[in-house]
Amino acid sequence: MIKLVKKDLKLFFGNKRDLSLTFALPIIIITLFALVFGKMGHENGNSFPGLVQSVAGAAVMMLLFSVAGIGGSLLEEKKEGMLKKLLCAPIHPNEILFGKMAFANIVSVMQLTLVFVYAKTVFGLDIFPHIPSLALMILATSYACSSFGVFLASFARSQQQVQSVSTIIILVMSAIGGSMMPLFIMPEFMQKIAVFSVNYWGMQGFFDIFWRLLPFTDSVFLSRVLVLIGIGTLLNWIAFLLFRKNILKIA
Amino acid sequence: MIYVSNLKKTFDGLEALKGVSFHIQPGECYGLLGPNGAGKTTTISIMSAILNSNEGEVSIAGFDLQKRPLDCKKNIGVITQEIALYNDLSAYDNLLFWGGMYGVPKPELRKRIDETVELLGLAGRKYDKVGTYSGGLKRRINIASALLHRPKILFMDEPTVGIDPQSRNLIYEVVEKLHRDGMTIVYTTHYMEEAERLCDRIGIIDDGKIIAEGTLDQLKASGPMKETVAISFANLTDEQCDAIAKHWNDLRRFDQSIHFYSKNIQGDLSKIITKCNDARAEITHIDIRKINLETIFLNLTGAELRDK
Repeated sequence: MIKLVKKDLKLFFGNKRDLSLTFALPIIIITLFALVFGKMGHENGNSFPGLVQSVAGAAVMMLLFSVAGIGGSLLEEKKEGMLKKLLCAPIHPNEILFGKMAFANIVSVMQLTLVFVYAKTVFGLDIFPHIPSLALMILATSYACSSFGVFLASFARSQQQVQSVSTIIILVMSAIGGSMMPLFIMPEFMQKIAVFSVNYWGMQGFFDIFWRLLPFTDSVFLSRVLVLIGIGTLLNWIAFLLFRKNILKIA
Repeated sequence: MIYVSNLKKTFDGLEALKGVSFHIQPGECYGLLGPNGAGKTTTISIMSAILNSNEGEVSIAGFDLQKRPLDCKKNIGVITQEIALYNDLSAYDNLLFWGGMYGVPKPELRKRIDETVELLGLAGRKYDKVGTYSGGLKRRINIASALLHRPKILFMDEPTVGIDPQSRNLIYEVVEKLHRDGMTIVYTTHYMEEAERLCDRIGIIDDGKIIAEGTLDQLKASGPMKETVAISFANLTDEQCDAIAKHWNDLRRFDQSIHFYSKNIQGDLSKIITKCNDARAEITHIDIRKINLETIFLNLTGAELRDK
C-alpha cells in the first residue's frame, strides 16, 4: 500500500495542473473572500468571524473538489488498464482502495494545513494558541472529505461522471453547509438541513476553534470531530463495499 | 506447472465458461485459440486471480489459486492488450513501481531496470516521461514491466489485437525468446497464424468449452479433415463443370472457380489438373489450402473463426 501511495504522490507532485488546483486555487479564493469579508462581524480572540468564514468555508469547499479529482483518478486508472494490471500483482485488492484513501487523506491534510498557514501569514488568523485543536480538526475534516472522493468514485462509471456529479453535490453541500455564506443569514429550514453536509461540521469545528474559542477537550468541539469521523467511516465503508463489487467487473 | 480443472463462470445468468480443463507443462507455450466471446479472457482473468470462478480448481506453480492467490501471482507475469503505464512518470519510475509491486528488493530491482533500459536502448532517456515515448517504445516498457520479477509463467491475453505489424513482430520475438529461455507461456489469441507460429500445444475454445486440444499435428490428425485446392477458370461453362464433376465427386463450384477437396492434395493435384484440361477449361489460378487451424476450427464448429 505504501508503494501505491508513494506512486500517487510522485504523480501528484509531477503534475502542475493538480498542484495548482489543490494549492494555488484555494489560496486565490480564500484571498478574495478574506479581502471582502475578512473584517466582518465581532472580533473575538483576535479573529473576525468573517475571516474564519472566508478561510474555513473556502478551504472545505475546495478540499471537496480536490478529493473528488483524486477519486476520479481511480476510474481513469481503471479505464487505462492500470487497475487490471494492479490486480494481477501480488497484493490484496483492498490495498488499491486503501492506498487511494490514504493518498487522498495526505493531500487533504497538506491542503488544509497550507491554507491555515497562509491565513495566519497573510491575514493574521491566530492559529498558534490552537495548534492541538486545529490539528485534530484538520485531520477529522480531511478524513471526512477524502472519504467523499472515493465514495463518489466507487459508484461512478467514469472520471467525467465523477466530475459532473461531484460539482453539483459539492456546490449544493457548500451552499447549504455554510461554505458560501454564513449560516445565520439563511432561512431556518436551511440551517436545519445544513447538518447533512460535510461542510457544516467542518466549518463549525473551525468556528469553535477560532471564534468560539472552545478548548481542545470541550465536548461540543469533540462531538463535531466525532461526527466528521463518523461521516468519513460511513462513506469509506460504502465505498469499500461498492468498490469490491466494481473490481470484480473489471475482467 | 498449470492445472485448470472444470472451470465454470456465469455472468448475469450467461454461462461464459462451461467446464474448462487443461494442464500445461513447465516450459511449454500453450495457446488458447478461439473467437471473441469464446471465454479466453475469462479463463485468463480467473487464472490471474482477478476474477473468481463459480466452480473448478486452478493450480499455478504448485499453489492452489483459491487458497494462496498471492503465491500464485508472484509466479505470474501478465501482459494485457493495454499499455498500462503512467504517462506522467518516467520509464525508470514506472519500472521501479511495477517491479516494486511484485516485491523485488530495491537494489536488485534497480540493477534489473538498468539492464532492461540498456537492452531497450533507453539508457539516455530513462528519466523522460513515458508520455513522450513512441508507441513501440511504450509497448517494450510495458512488456518489461511484467517481467522484472522474473516470473516462471507468463500470461499474454490477446497482446497483438489492434496493433501495428512492427509491434506485433516485437511481441512474437519476445514470446519466442522467452519460450527458448524456458518460460511457461499461456497465449490467448483469435489469430490462427499466431497460435501456429508460437505455441507448442493449442487448446481450441468455443462457447465456454475446450473443444479440441493438442499439438498442431495432433489436431490435424484428430478428424476427417480435407485439404482444398481452389482453381479459378476463364469462362467456365456448365458443361465443362459437369465434365470435371464426372471424374471428381468431392467438389464445389463458386462461379468461375471450383474447390476440390482431398485428404492428399499433393498426390491428387496432377489428376485434378489433368481432368480440368480434359474438359478444356482454361485455368487462371491455383490456390492450395492445406489443413490449418482455420480448417480444424471449421471442422469442429461448422463456423469460420473470424466470422464468429
